[in-house]
Amino acid sequence: MTRAVDIRIRNDVAAIGIVRDTLDSLGREFGIPVRALTHLHVALDEIVSNVVKYSWDDGGQHELLVRITVRPDRVDLEIFDDGREFDPMTAPCPNLAPEGQRPPPGGLGIHMIKKLVDHFTYERIDGRNHTTLSKTCEVGTAIQRSNK
Amino acid sequence: MNSLSIGETHAGNVCIVTLSGRIDSSNANDVMAELTRLISSGEKSILVDLSAVLYLTSAAFRALLVATGKAKQQAANFALCSLAGQVRELFEMGGLLELFAIHNSREEALKQLGGPILRAP
Repeated sequence: MTRAVDIRIRNDVAAIGIVRDTLDSLGREFGIPVRALTHLHVALDEIVSNVVKYSWDDGGQHELLVRITVRPDRVDLEIFDDGREFDPMTAPCPNLAPEGQRPPPGGLGIHMIKKLVDHFTYERIDGRNHTTLSKTCEVGTAIQRSNK
Repeated sequence: MNSLSIGETHAGNVCIVTLSGRIDSSNANDVMAELTRLISSGEKSILVDLSAVLYLTSAAFRALLVATGKAKQQAANFALCSLAGQVRELFEMGGLLELFAIHNSREEALKQLGGPILRAP
């Protein structure tokens, strides 16, 4: 049992709700454990908002593709975009002191992703960025629990 | 779909802001705008209750950090309370627990911030 869903959204943080709702639906349908689903939601928001904010600097409208693949033992989140080459793995670590000041753009979000998922990879293929996040979890257990 | 709601109530001189739902990049600016508005309006003690938050992302942490900084500038108290399991875990992952004044419960926070419970006999 594997299900892959492709979602195309424009480069606007308001559009992130579409992928959030799709992940919610898949979580319910396949019984993704609650804690893993929460981690996936946060990681998805971090990576998609990162791409939306930093991949393009021309102020124009662009499209990115988010693919969510649910497998028996993990969930993969893939983001494809044709923005400028940017490896999120190289984003600086958060510098949160002094208190009250903003951390560097992207830094805290990328730090969170590294903590939230089990695999985080980046490739530049044919002029496109391809970022993959994978969360290992026992898909189906949330359904079994709710049926008890 | 915006799945965040922001509620406000006063307990003595403390303004309690209750956030419910998900705080992410699509709505964190709403949280920042409301907290900034409250601080600018002269509130001197603001308590943000996170007990009904499902999760929050770095955009939300930035909003809370900015509010913390603005409160400091205005010599106002700014604290968080009632971080439930997964929310606390996210603060831990971000290394953020030490950057905020965090109380276990609303009651405990009100005692510290000088709300009505402190004045009760």
